[in-house]
Amino acid sequence: MKKRAGWKWSALVAVVVALIVSPLYFIAIGGFMSTEEIFYKPPYLFPPEPTLQYYREAFFTLLPYIKNSFILSFGTLLLTLIVALPASFVVTKFEFSMKSSLSFLFAFVQMIPYTAVIIPLFLMFTKMKLINSHFGAVLALSVFLVPFAIIILRSYMASIPSGLIEAALIDGAGYFKIFTNIFLPLSAPGIASVSILVFLLAWGNFIVPLAFIKEESMRPISIGLYVFIGQYGVEWNKLMAGSMIYTIPPLIVALLAGRAIVAGLTAGAFKE
Amino acid sequence: MKIPKISLFLFLIPSLALMLIFGVYPIIYNVFLSLKDVNLISYIRGTAQYIGFSNYREILGDPLFWKALSNTAIFTVISIVLQMVLGFLLALLFNREFPLKGLLQALVMIPWVMPIMVSGSFFRWFLSDNGFLNNFLLALNWIKEPVRWITTEKMAIYSLTAVNVWLGIPFNFILLYTGMQQIPEELYESSEIDGATGWQKVVYITLPMLKPVVIATFILGCILTFKVFDLVWIVTKGGPGGASHLLSTFSYSLAFDRFQFGKSAAVLVLMQIIVVLFIGFSNRMKWEER
Repeated sequence: MKKRAGWKWSALVAVVVALIVSPLYFIAIGGFMSTEEIFYKPPYLFPPEPTLQYYREAFFTLLPYIKNSFILSFGTLLLTLIVALPASFVVTKFEFSMKSSLSFLFAFVQMIPYTAVIIPLFLMFTKMKLINSHFGAVLALSVFLVPFAIIILRSYMASIPSGLIEAALIDGAGYFKIFTNIFLPLSAPGIASVSILVFLLAWGNFIVPLAFIKEESMRPISIGLYVFIGQYGVEWNKLMAGSMIYTIPPLIVALLAGRAIVAGLTAGAFKE
Repeated sequence: MKIPKISLFLFLIPSLALMLIFGVYPIIYNVFLSLKDVNLISYIRGTAQYIGFSNYREILGDPLFWKALSNTAIFTVISIVLQMVLGFLLALLFNREFPLKGLLQALVMIPWVMPIMVSGSFFRWFLSDNGFLNNFLLALNWIKEPVRWITTEKMAIYSLTAVNVWLGIPFNFILLYTGMQQIPEELYESSEIDGATGWQKVVYITLPMLKPVVIATFILGCILTFKVFDLVWIVTKGGPGGASHLLSTFSYSLAFDRFQFGKSAAVLVLMQIIVVLFIGFSNRMKWEER
Protein backbone atom coordinates (compact mmCIF):
# COMPACT_ATOMS: atom_id res chain seq x y z
CA MET A 1 0.00 0.00 0.00
CA LYS A 2 1.12 3.44 -0.86
CA LYS A 3 1.58 5.92 1.98
CA ARG A 4 -1.46 8.08 2.64
CA ALA A 5 -1.26 11.69 3.69
CA GLY A 6 -3.98 14.13 4.69
CA TRP A 7 -5.04 17.65 3.82
CA LYS A 8 -1.94 19.10 5.46
CA TRP A 9 0.16 17.44 2.78
CA SER A 10 -2.22 18.72 0.08
CA ALA A 11 -1.74 22.25 1.41
CA LEU A 12 2.04 21.91 1.28
CA VAL A 13 1.96 20.59 -2.28
CA ALA A 14 -0.57 23.28 -3.27
CA VAL A 15 1.83 26.03 -2.15
CA VAL A 16 4.62 24.58 -4.29
CA VAL A 17 2.30 24.13 -7.26
CA ALA A 18 0.93 27.68 -6.87
CA LEU A 19 4.49 28.97 -7.13
CA ILE A 20 5.05 26.99 -10.32
CA VAL A 21 1.85 28.16 -12.03
CA SER A 22 1.93 31.76 -10.75
CA PRO A 23 3.09 33.19 -14.13
CA LEU A 24 -0.25 32.17 -15.61
CA TYR A 25 -2.06 34.05 -12.84
CA PHE A 26 -0.09 37.25 -13.45
CA ILE A 27 -0.71 37.02 -17.19
CA ALA A 28 -4.43 36.60 -16.53
CA ILE A 29 -4.69 39.65 -14.24
CA GLY A 30 -2.36 41.71 -16.45
CA GLY A 31 -5.06 41.63 -19.12
CA PHE A 32 -7.44 43.40 -16.75
CA MET A 33 -5.07 46.29 -15.96
CA SER A 34 -3.70 49.39 -17.65
CA THR A 35 -0.02 49.39 -18.62
CA GLU A 36 0.74 51.81 -15.76
CA GLU A 37 -0.89 49.44 -13.31
CA ILE A 38 1.08 46.51 -14.72
CA PHE A 39 4.36 48.33 -13.98
CA TYR A 40 3.19 49.76 -10.64
CA LYS A 41 5.60 49.61 -7.74
CA PRO A 42 4.93 47.65 -5.55
CA PRO A 43 3.28 45.32 -8.05
CA TYR A 44 -0.43 44.65 -7.76
CA LEU A 45 -1.40 41.12 -6.76
CA PHE A 46 -5.02 41.80 -7.77
CA PRO A 47 -6.18 44.19 -10.49
CA PRO A 48 -7.17 47.42 -8.66
CA GLU A 49 -9.79 48.50 -11.24
CA PRO A 50 -10.44 45.46 -13.45
CA THR A 51 -11.73 46.17 -16.94
CA LEU A 52 -12.65 43.78 -19.74
CA GLN A 53 -11.74 46.34 -22.39
CA TYR A 54 -8.26 44.95 -23.17
CA TYR A 55 -9.45 41.37 -23.39
CA ARG A 56 -12.16 42.50 -25.81
CA GLU A 57 -9.77 44.53 -27.97
CA ALA A 58 -7.14 41.79 -27.97
CA PHE A 59 -9.71 39.17 -28.92
CA PHE A 60 -11.01 41.08 -31.95
CA THR A 61 -7.51 42.00 -33.10
CA LEU A 62 -6.38 38.39 -32.79
CA LEU A 63 -9.42 36.67 -34.28
CA PRO A 64 -7.92 36.12 -37.77
CA TYR A 65 -4.70 34.80 -36.20
CA ILE A 66 -6.66 32.41 -34.02
CA LYS A 67 -8.37 31.08 -37.12
CA ASN A 68 -4.97 30.50 -38.74
CA SER A 69 -3.75 28.71 -35.62
CA PHE A 70 -6.67 26.31 -35.78
CA ILE A 71 -6.04 25.68 -39.49
CA LEU A 72 -2.36 24.95 -38.85
CA SER A 73 -2.94 22.78 -35.78
CA PHE A 74 -5.71 20.65 -37.24
CA GLY A 75 -3.93 20.46 -40.59
CA THR A 76 -0.81 19.22 -38.82
CA LEU A 77 -2.82 16.77 -36.76
CA LEU A 78 -4.52 15.38 -39.86
CA LEU A 79 -1.32 15.00 -41.89
CA THR A 80 0.60 13.54 -38.95
CA LEU A 81 -2.05 10.88 -38.33
CA ILE A 82 -2.45 9.99 -42.01
CA VAL A 83 1.29 9.48 -42.30
CA ALA A 84 2.07 7.99 -38.88
CA LEU A 85 -0.76 5.49 -38.48
CA PRO A 86 0.00 3.17 -41.43
CA ALA A 87 3.69 3.23 -40.52
CA SER A 88 3.06 2.36 -36.89
CA PHE A 89 0.76 -0.49 -38.01
CA VAL A 90 3.42 -2.33 -39.97
CA VAL A 91 6.21 -1.46 -37.58
CA THR A 92 4.33 -2.79 -34.57
CA LYS A 93 2.76 -5.92 -36.02
CA PHE A 94 5.08 -7.28 -38.70
CA GLU A 95 8.65 -8.47 -39.06
CA PHE A 96 10.73 -7.31 -41.98
CA SER A 97 14.38 -6.99 -42.80
CA MET A 98 14.93 -3.22 -42.58
CA LYS A 99 12.98 -2.75 -39.37
CA SER A 100 15.85 -1.75 -37.11
CA SER A 101 17.23 0.77 -39.61
CA LEU A 102 13.73 2.20 -39.84
CA SER A 103 13.50 2.59 -36.06
CA PHE A 104 16.85 4.29 -36.17
CA LEU A 105 15.56 6.69 -38.83
CA PHE A 106 12.55 7.62 -36.67
CA ALA A 107 14.73 8.20 -33.63
CA PHE A 108 17.24 10.17 -35.69
CA VAL A 109 14.66 12.49 -37.28
CA GLN A 110 13.07 13.09 -33.90
CA MET A 111 16.40 14.26 -32.52
CA ILE A 112 17.19 16.72 -35.31
CA PRO A 113 16.89 20.24 -33.90
CA TYR A 114 14.28 22.37 -35.63
CA THR A 115 16.83 25.09 -36.19
CA ALA A 116 19.03 22.67 -38.14
CA VAL A 117 16.46 22.19 -40.89
CA ILE A 118 14.80 25.59 -40.80
CA ILE A 119 17.45 27.22 -43.02
CA PRO A 120 17.68 24.53 -45.71
CA LEU A 121 13.90 24.15 -45.62
CA PHE A 122 13.50 27.89 -46.04
CA LEU A 123 15.63 27.76 -49.19
CA MET A 124 13.81 24.66 -50.48
CA PHE A 125 10.41 26.20 -49.73
CA THR A 126 11.42 29.41 -51.50
CA LYS A 127 11.99 27.40 -54.67
CA MET A 128 8.88 25.26 -54.17
CA LYS A 129 6.70 28.35 -53.52
CA LEU A 130 5.80 27.04 -50.06
CA ILE A 131 6.71 30.19 -48.16
CA ASN A 132 3.61 32.00 -46.89
CA SER A 133 1.56 28.86 -47.34
CA HIS A 134 -0.29 27.00 -44.63
CA PHE A 135 0.47 23.75 -46.41
CA GLY A 136 4.20 24.45 -46.27
CA ALA A 137 4.01 25.18 -42.54
CA VAL A 138 1.97 22.02 -41.95
CA LEU A 139 4.61 19.98 -43.81
CA ALA A 140 7.41 21.48 -41.72
CA LEU A 141 5.51 20.91 -38.49
CA SER A 142 4.63 17.30 -39.36
CA VAL A 143 8.19 16.22 -40.19
CA PHE A 144 9.10 16.13 -36.51
CA LEU A 145 5.74 15.17 -35.12
CA VAL A 146 5.45 12.04 -37.28
CA PRO A 147 8.38 10.15 -35.69
CA PHE A 148 7.23 11.37 -32.26
CA ALA A 149 3.72 10.06 -32.99
CA ILE A 150 4.99 6.73 -34.32
CA ILE A 151 7.13 6.11 -31.26
CA ILE A 152 4.21 6.80 -28.92
CA LEU A 153 1.67 4.86 -31.01
CA ARG A 154 3.94 1.81 -31.04
CA SER A 155 3.92 1.58 -27.27
CA TYR A 156 0.12 1.65 -27.23
CA MET A 157 -0.35 -0.73 -30.16
CA ALA A 158 2.01 -3.38 -28.88
CA SER A 159 -0.81 -4.67 -26.67
CA ILE A 160 -3.20 -5.34 -29.58
CA PRO A 161 -3.28 -9.15 -29.94
CA SER A 162 -1.59 -10.31 -33.15
CA GLY A 163 -3.97 -13.27 -33.22
CA LEU A 164 -6.78 -11.01 -34.37
CA ILE A 165 -4.77 -9.95 -37.40
CA GLU A 166 -3.68 -13.52 -38.18
CA ALA A 167 -7.29 -14.71 -38.01
CA ALA A 168 -8.43 -11.96 -40.36
CA LEU A 169 -5.62 -12.84 -42.80
CA ILE A 170 -6.74 -16.48 -42.82
CA ASP A 171 -10.28 -15.26 -43.52
CA GLY A 172 -8.87 -13.57 -46.59
CA ALA A 173 -9.05 -9.93 -45.51
CA GLY A 174 -6.59 -7.56 -47.21
CA TYR A 175 -3.93 -5.71 -45.25
CA PHE A 176 -5.54 -2.35 -45.80
CA LYS A 177 -8.92 -3.64 -44.62
CA ILE A 178 -7.34 -5.13 -41.51
CA PHE A 179 -5.67 -1.79 -40.89
CA THR A 180 -8.86 0.26 -41.17
CA ASN A 181 -11.43 -2.17 -39.73
CA ILE A 182 -9.54 -3.97 -36.97
CA PHE A 183 -6.39 -2.13 -36.16
CA LEU A 184 -7.54 1.50 -36.07
CA PRO A 185 -10.59 0.96 -33.83
CA LEU A 186 -8.49 -0.99 -31.35
CA SER A 187 -5.87 1.77 -31.32
CA ALA A 188 -8.37 4.46 -30.32
CA PRO A 189 -6.86 5.27 -26.89
CA GLY A 190 -3.38 5.62 -28.37
CA ILE A 191 -4.67 7.75 -31.23
CA ALA A 192 -6.50 10.00 -28.77
CA SER A 193 -3.40 10.50 -26.65
CA VAL A 194 -1.19 11.20 -29.65
CA SER A 195 -3.74 13.59 -31.15
CA ILE A 196 -3.79 15.65 -27.97
CA LEU A 197 0.00 15.89 -27.86
CA VAL A 198 0.35 16.67 -31.55
CA PHE A 199 -2.33 19.35 -31.32
CA LEU A 200 -0.65 20.97 -28.31
CA LEU A 201 2.79 20.94 -29.93
CA ALA A 202 1.48 22.34 -33.23
CA TRP A 203 -0.60 24.98 -31.44
CA GLY A 204 2.36 26.19 -29.41
CA ASN A 205 4.99 26.04 -32.16
CA PHE A 206 6.81 29.29 -32.74
CA ILE A 207 9.76 28.77 -35.06
CA VAL A 208 7.94 27.29 -38.07
CA PRO A 209 5.50 30.18 -38.60
CA LEU A 210 8.25 32.64 -37.64
CA ALA A 211 10.48 31.42 -40.44
CA PHE A 212 7.99 30.38 -43.12
CA ILE A 213 4.97 32.69 -42.83
CA LYS A 214 5.89 36.30 -43.49
CA GLU A 215 2.46 37.37 -44.76
CA GLU A 216 0.57 38.96 -41.86
CA SER A 217 -2.87 37.62 -42.86
CA MET A 218 -1.58 34.02 -42.88
CA ARG A 219 0.13 34.10 -39.48
CA PRO A 220 -1.02 32.09 -36.46
CA ILE A 221 -1.46 33.66 -33.04
CA SER A 222 2.01 32.62 -31.79
CA ILE A 223 3.48 35.22 -34.16
CA GLY A 224 0.30 37.34 -34.25
CA LEU A 225 0.91 38.43 -30.66
CA TYR A 226 3.77 40.52 -32.03
CA VAL A 227 1.17 43.07 -33.21
CA PHE A 228 1.15 44.27 -29.59
CA ILE A 229 4.94 44.57 -29.58
CA GLY A 230 5.18 47.62 -31.82
CA GLN A 231 7.97 49.98 -32.76
CA TYR A 232 6.79 52.46 -30.15
CA GLY A 233 6.80 50.12 -27.19
CA VAL A 234 4.85 47.15 -26.02
CA GLU A 235 1.12 47.25 -25.23
CA TRP A 236 1.64 44.96 -22.27
CA ASN A 237 -2.00 44.78 -21.18
CA LYS A 238 -3.22 43.64 -24.58
CA LEU A 239 -0.22 41.34 -24.97
CA MET A 240 -1.15 39.67 -21.68
CA ALA A 241 -4.84 39.51 -22.53
CA GLY A 242 -3.94 38.03 -25.92
CA SER A 243 -1.50 35.58 -24.29
CA MET A 244 -4.26 34.40 -21.99
CA ILE A 245 -6.65 33.92 -24.91
CA TYR A 246 -3.93 31.97 -26.74
CA THR A 247 -3.38 29.76 -23.67
CA ILE A 248 -7.02 28.88 -23.04
CA PRO A 249 -7.40 26.04 -25.59
CA PRO A 250 -4.28 24.14 -24.42
CA LEU A 251 -5.22 24.85 -20.81
CA ILE A 252 -8.64 23.25 -21.24
CA VAL A 253 -7.08 20.28 -23.01
CA ALA A 254 -4.50 19.88 -20.23
CA LEU A 255 -7.06 19.97 -17.43
CA LEU A 256 -9.46 17.60 -19.20
CA ALA A 257 -6.90 15.20 -20.60
CA GLY A 258 -3.93 15.50 -18.24
CA ARG A 259 -3.72 11.74 -17.94
CA ALA A 260 -3.45 11.23 -21.70
CA ILE A 261 -0.66 13.82 -21.91
CA VAL A 262 1.31 12.16 -19.14
CA ALA A 263 0.82 8.69 -20.61
CA GLY A 264 1.86 9.86 -24.07
CA LEU A 265 4.91 11.77 -22.89
CA THR A 266 6.29 8.94 -20.82
CA ALA A 267 5.61 6.39 -23.55
CA GLY A 268 7.46 8.59 -26.03
CA ALA A 269 10.40 9.23 -23.75
CA PHE A 270 11.26 5.69 -22.72
CA LYS A 271 10.92 4.00 -26.08
CA GLU A 272 14.19 3.03 -27.84
CA MET B 1 4.13 -12.00 -38.78
CA LYS B 2 5.28 -11.44 -42.32
CA ILE B 3 3.88 -8.95 -44.78
CA PRO B 4 4.41 -8.92 -48.58
CA LYS B 5 6.99 -6.38 -49.72
CA ILE B 6 4.52 -4.40 -51.81
CA SER B 7 2.02 -3.90 -48.96
CA LEU B 8 4.85 -3.02 -46.61
CA PHE B 9 6.07 -0.44 -49.05
CA LEU B 10 2.62 1.14 -49.45
CA PHE B 11 2.16 1.45 -45.69
CA LEU B 12 5.58 2.98 -45.18
CA ILE B 13 5.94 5.27 -48.17
CA PRO B 14 4.12 8.33 -46.75
CA SER B 15 6.23 8.51 -43.59
CA LEU B 16 9.45 7.61 -45.39
CA ALA B 17 8.91 10.25 -48.05
CA LEU B 18 8.07 12.97 -45.55
CA MET B 19 11.02 12.25 -43.29
CA LEU B 20 13.59 11.74 -46.02
CA ILE B 21 12.60 14.77 -48.09
CA PHE B 22 11.93 17.28 -45.31
CA GLY B 23 14.05 15.85 -42.46
CA VAL B 24 17.11 13.96 -43.69
CA TYR B 25 17.68 15.71 -47.00
CA PRO B 26 17.85 19.20 -45.40
CA ILE B 27 20.53 17.94 -43.01
CA ILE B 28 22.65 16.74 -45.92
CA TYR B 29 21.84 19.88 -47.86
CA ASN B 30 23.22 21.89 -44.91
CA VAL B 31 26.64 20.37 -45.47
CA PHE B 32 26.68 21.58 -49.08
CA LEU B 33 25.34 25.01 -48.10
CA SER B 34 28.08 25.35 -45.51
CA LEU B 35 30.72 24.95 -48.22
CA LYS B 36 29.16 27.57 -50.47
CA ASP B 37 28.98 31.31 -50.58
CA VAL B 38 25.18 31.47 -50.23
CA ASN B 39 23.12 34.57 -49.67
CA LEU B 40 19.54 35.12 -50.77
CA ILE B 41 20.41 36.58 -54.19
CA SER B 42 23.13 34.10 -55.08
CA TYR B 43 20.78 31.31 -54.03
CA ILE B 44 17.83 32.41 -56.15
CA ARG B 45 20.04 33.11 -59.15
CA GLY B 46 21.90 29.86 -58.59
CA THR B 47 25.27 31.60 -58.69
CA ALA B 48 26.54 30.51 -55.27
CA GLN B 49 30.12 29.21 -55.55
CA TYR B 50 31.93 26.55 -53.58
CA ILE B 51 34.38 28.31 -51.34
CA GLY B 52 35.82 25.37 -49.41
CA PHE B 53 36.00 25.74 -45.67
CA SER B 54 36.11 29.51 -45.51
CA ASN B 55 32.64 29.71 -43.88
CA TYR B 56 33.96 27.49 -41.12
CA ARG B 57 37.15 29.51 -40.86
CA GLU B 58 35.18 32.74 -40.49
CA ILE B 59 32.80 31.22 -37.96
CA LEU B 60 35.63 29.84 -35.85
CA GLY B 61 37.27 33.27 -35.93
CA ASP B 62 34.09 35.01 -34.77
CA PRO B 63 34.05 35.75 -31.01
CA LEU B 64 30.23 35.64 -31.13
CA PHE B 65 30.40 31.97 -32.12
CA TRP B 66 32.55 31.11 -29.11
CA LYS B 67 30.26 33.16 -26.89
CA ALA B 68 27.25 31.27 -28.24
CA LEU B 69 29.03 27.93 -27.76
CA SER B 70 29.91 28.64 -24.14
CA ASN B 71 26.40 30.02 -23.53
CA THR B 72 24.91 26.83 -24.93
CA ALA B 73 27.10 24.76 -22.62
CA ILE B 74 26.21 26.88 -19.57
CA PHE B 75 22.54 26.92 -20.48
CA THR B 76 22.33 23.17 -21.08
CA VAL B 77 24.33 21.97 -18.09
CA ILE B 78 22.78 24.28 -15.48
CA SER B 79 19.26 23.75 -16.86
CA ILE B 80 19.52 19.98 -16.79
CA VAL B 81 20.99 19.74 -13.33
CA LEU B 82 18.47 22.10 -11.72
CA GLN B 83 15.49 20.74 -13.66
CA MET B 84 16.29 17.22 -12.58
CA VAL B 85 16.87 18.15 -8.94
CA LEU B 86 13.65 20.18 -8.75
CA GLY B 87 11.71 17.60 -10.76
CA PHE B 88 12.95 14.90 -8.40
CA LEU B 89 12.01 16.82 -5.25
CA LEU B 90 8.57 17.51 -6.71
CA ALA B 91 8.16 13.83 -7.58
CA LEU B 92 9.00 12.95 -3.96
CA LEU B 93 6.23 15.30 -2.81
CA PHE B 94 3.77 13.52 -5.08
CA ASN B 95 4.98 10.04 -4.19
CA ARG B 96 2.10 9.30 -1.79
CA GLU B 97 -1.67 9.48 -1.79
CA PHE B 98 -3.36 12.70 -0.67
CA PRO B 99 -6.55 14.65 -1.41
CA LEU B 100 -6.67 16.62 -4.71
CA LYS B 101 -3.57 14.83 -6.00
CA GLY B 102 -4.94 14.46 -9.54
CA LEU B 103 -5.81 18.13 -9.90
CA LEU B 104 -2.49 19.31 -8.49
CA GLN B 105 -0.60 16.98 -10.81
CA ALA B 106 -2.47 18.34 -13.83
CA LEU B 107 -1.60 21.90 -12.73
CA VAL B 108 2.12 21.07 -12.57
CA MET B 109 1.98 20.40 -16.32
CA ILE B 110 0.98 24.02 -17.05
CA PRO B 111 4.48 25.35 -17.84
CA TRP B 112 4.77 22.58 -20.45
CA VAL B 113 1.33 23.29 -21.88
CA MET B 114 1.68 27.08 -22.11
CA PRO B 115 2.77 28.18 -25.58
CA ILE B 116 6.38 29.36 -25.55
CA MET B 117 5.40 32.77 -26.93
CA VAL B 118 3.24 33.27 -23.84
CA SER B 119 5.78 32.20 -21.23
CA GLY B 120 8.56 33.98 -23.12
CA SER B 121 6.65 37.27 -23.24
CA PHE B 122 5.73 36.92 -19.59
CA PHE B 123 9.37 36.57 -18.54
CA ARG B 124 10.38 39.42 -20.79
CA TRP B 125 8.10 41.60 -18.64
CA PHE B 126 8.81 39.84 -15.34
CA LEU B 127 12.59 40.30 -15.70
CA SER B 128 12.65 43.71 -17.38
CA ASP B 129 14.39 46.63 -15.64
CA ASN B 130 11.08 48.02 -14.34
CA GLY B 131 9.29 44.66 -14.36
CA PHE B 132 7.57 42.61 -11.68
CA LEU B 133 10.62 41.01 -10.09
CA ASN B 134 12.49 44.29 -9.61
CA ASN B 135 9.41 46.13 -8.37
CA PHE B 136 8.69 43.30 -5.98
CA LEU B 137 12.23 43.13 -4.59
CA LEU B 138 12.43 46.93 -4.31
CA ALA B 139 9.16 47.00 -2.39
CA LEU B 140 10.55 44.41 0.02
CA ASN B 141 13.72 46.50 0.30
CA TRP B 142 15.83 43.49 -0.66
CA ILE B 143 17.58 45.47 -3.36
CA LYS B 144 18.38 49.19 -3.52
CA GLU B 145 18.11 49.62 -7.28
CA PRO B 146 16.72 47.51 -10.13
CA VAL B 147 18.81 44.51 -11.15
CA ARG B 148 19.26 44.37 -14.93
CA TRP B 149 18.40 40.69 -15.28
CA ILE B 150 18.19 40.51 -19.06
CA THR B 151 19.81 43.74 -20.20
CA THR B 152 23.41 43.20 -19.12
CA GLU B 153 25.88 41.00 -20.95
CA LYS B 154 26.88 39.19 -17.79
CA MET B 155 23.46 38.30 -16.42
CA ALA B 156 21.24 37.66 -19.44
CA ILE B 157 22.25 34.05 -20.10
CA TYR B 158 21.84 33.09 -16.44
CA SER B 159 18.39 34.67 -16.26
CA LEU B 160 17.39 32.78 -19.40
CA THR B 161 18.74 29.58 -17.88
CA ALA B 162 16.60 30.14 -14.79
CA VAL B 163 13.52 30.56 -16.96
CA ASN B 164 14.38 27.40 -18.82
CA VAL B 165 14.61 25.52 -15.53
CA TRP B 166 11.02 26.53 -14.83
CA LEU B 167 9.98 25.42 -18.32
CA GLY B 168 11.57 22.00 -17.84
CA ILE B 169 10.15 21.16 -14.42
CA PRO B 170 6.96 19.42 -15.68
CA PHE B 171 8.79 17.16 -18.11
CA ASN B 172 11.45 16.07 -15.61
CA PHE B 173 8.87 15.71 -12.88
CA ILE B 174 6.62 13.48 -14.93
CA LEU B 175 9.41 11.16 -16.10
CA LEU B 176 10.96 10.82 -12.64
CA TYR B 177 7.56 10.43 -10.98
CA THR B 178 6.54 7.67 -13.40
CA GLY B 179 9.85 5.98 -12.69
CA MET B 180 9.22 6.15 -8.93
CA GLN B 181 5.90 4.37 -9.37
CA GLN B 182 7.76 1.32 -10.69
CA ILE B 183 9.77 0.85 -7.50
CA PRO B 184 8.24 -2.08 -5.57
CA GLU B 185 6.56 -0.98 -2.36
CA GLU B 186 7.97 -3.97 -0.44
CA LEU B 187 11.45 -2.45 -0.56
CA TYR B 188 10.26 0.53 1.45
CA GLU B 189 8.26 -1.63 3.82
CA SER B 190 11.12 -3.92 4.68
CA SER B 191 13.47 -0.98 5.15
CA GLU B 192 10.96 0.49 7.60
CA ILE B 193 11.10 -2.69 9.63
CA ASP B 194 14.86 -2.21 9.74
CA GLY B 195 14.26 1.32 11.04
CA ALA B 196 15.22 3.42 7.99
CA THR B 197 14.38 7.13 8.16
CA GLY B 198 12.71 9.05 5.32
CA TRP B 199 15.93 10.41 3.84
CA GLN B 200 17.70 7.09 4.19
CA LYS B 201 14.94 5.54 2.10
CA VAL B 202 15.41 8.20 -0.58
CA VAL B 203 19.20 7.80 -0.65
CA TYR B 204 19.42 3.99 -0.38
CA ILE B 205 16.27 2.88 -2.23
CA THR B 206 14.69 5.56 -4.42
CA LEU B 207 17.85 6.96 -6.00
CA PRO B 208 19.59 3.65 -6.81
CA MET B 209 16.37 2.10 -8.14
CA LEU B 210 15.70 5.19 -10.23
CA LYS B 211 19.16 5.22 -11.82
CA PRO B 212 18.13 3.95 -15.29
CA VAL B 213 15.27 6.47 -15.44
CA VAL B 214 17.57 9.26 -14.28
CA ILE B 215 20.06 8.40 -17.03
CA ALA B 216 17.35 8.26 -19.71
CA THR B 217 15.89 11.55 -18.52
CA PHE B 218 19.34 13.13 -18.47
CA ILE B 219 20.16 12.09 -22.04
CA LEU B 220 16.79 13.18 -23.35
CA GLY B 221 17.00 16.45 -21.43
CA CYS B 222 20.43 17.25 -22.86
CA ILE B 223 19.25 16.71 -26.42
CA LEU B 224 16.07 18.75 -25.89
CA THR B 225 17.88 21.59 -24.11
CA PHE B 226 20.70 21.75 -26.62
CA LYS B 227 18.21 22.68 -29.32
CA VAL B 228 16.28 25.36 -27.43
CA PHE B 229 15.66 28.34 -29.68
CA ASP B 230 12.31 30.01 -29.01
CA LEU B 231 12.83 31.06 -25.41
CA VAL B 232 15.98 33.04 -26.11
CA TRP B 233 14.62 34.46 -29.35
CA ILE B 234 11.49 35.75 -27.62
CA VAL B 235 13.03 37.08 -24.40
CA THR B 236 16.32 38.66 -25.53
CA LYS B 237 16.75 37.84 -29.25
CA GLY B 238 20.31 36.94 -28.27
CA GLY B 239 21.01 40.42 -26.91
CA PRO B 240 22.37 42.59 -25.51
CA GLY B 241 25.03 42.73 -28.19
CA GLY B 242 24.88 39.00 -28.90
CA ALA B 243 25.79 38.19 -25.30
CA SER B 244 22.94 35.73 -24.75
CA HIS B 245 23.01 33.92 -28.10
CA LEU B 246 22.80 30.15 -28.10
CA LEU B 247 24.18 28.31 -31.12
CA SER B 248 20.60 27.94 -32.38
CA THR B 249 19.70 31.64 -32.18
CA PHE B 250 23.14 32.61 -33.48
CA SER B 251 22.72 30.54 -36.62
CA TYR B 252 19.14 31.76 -37.08
CA SER B 253 20.17 35.39 -36.90
CA LEU B 254 23.04 34.78 -39.33
CA ALA B 255 20.49 33.46 -41.81
CA PHE B 256 17.50 35.70 -41.33
CA ASP B 257 18.99 38.98 -40.08
CA ARG B 258 22.17 38.97 -42.14
CA PHE B 259 21.17 36.55 -44.94
CA GLN B 260 24.47 34.67 -44.61
CA PHE B 261 23.00 31.25 -45.22
CA GLY B 262 26.35 29.59 -45.86
CA LYS B 263 27.80 30.62 -42.51
CA SER B 264 24.56 29.83 -40.77
CA ALA B 265 24.67 26.32 -42.25
CA ALA B 266 28.25 25.94 -41.03
CA VAL B 267 27.10 26.61 -37.46
CA LEU B 268 24.31 24.07 -37.89
CA VAL B 269 26.72 21.42 -39.15
CA LEU B 270 28.95 22.01 -36.12
CA MET B 271 25.86 21.68 -33.86
CA GLN B 272 24.94 18.45 -35.61
CA ILE B 273 28.43 17.08 -34.99
CA ILE B 274 28.12 17.90 -31.29
CA VAL B 275 24.77 16.07 -31.10
CA VAL B 276 26.16 13.00 -32.87
CA LEU B 277 29.20 12.93 -30.55
CA PHE B 278 26.90 13.25 -27.57
CA ILE B 279 24.61 10.44 -28.72
CA GLY B 280 27.63 8.21 -29.29
CA PHE B 281 28.87 9.05 -25.81
CA SER B 282 25.45 8.49 -24.23
CA ASN B 283 25.05 5.10 -25.92
CA ARG B 284 28.29 4.08 -24.27
CA MET B 285 26.97 5.33 -20.97
CA LYS B 286 23.84 3.21 -21.42
CA TRP B 287 26.00 0.29 -22.49
CA GLU B 288 28.12 0.41 -19.36
CA GLU B 289 24.93 0.56 -17.35
CA ARG B 290 23.95 -2.95 -18.48
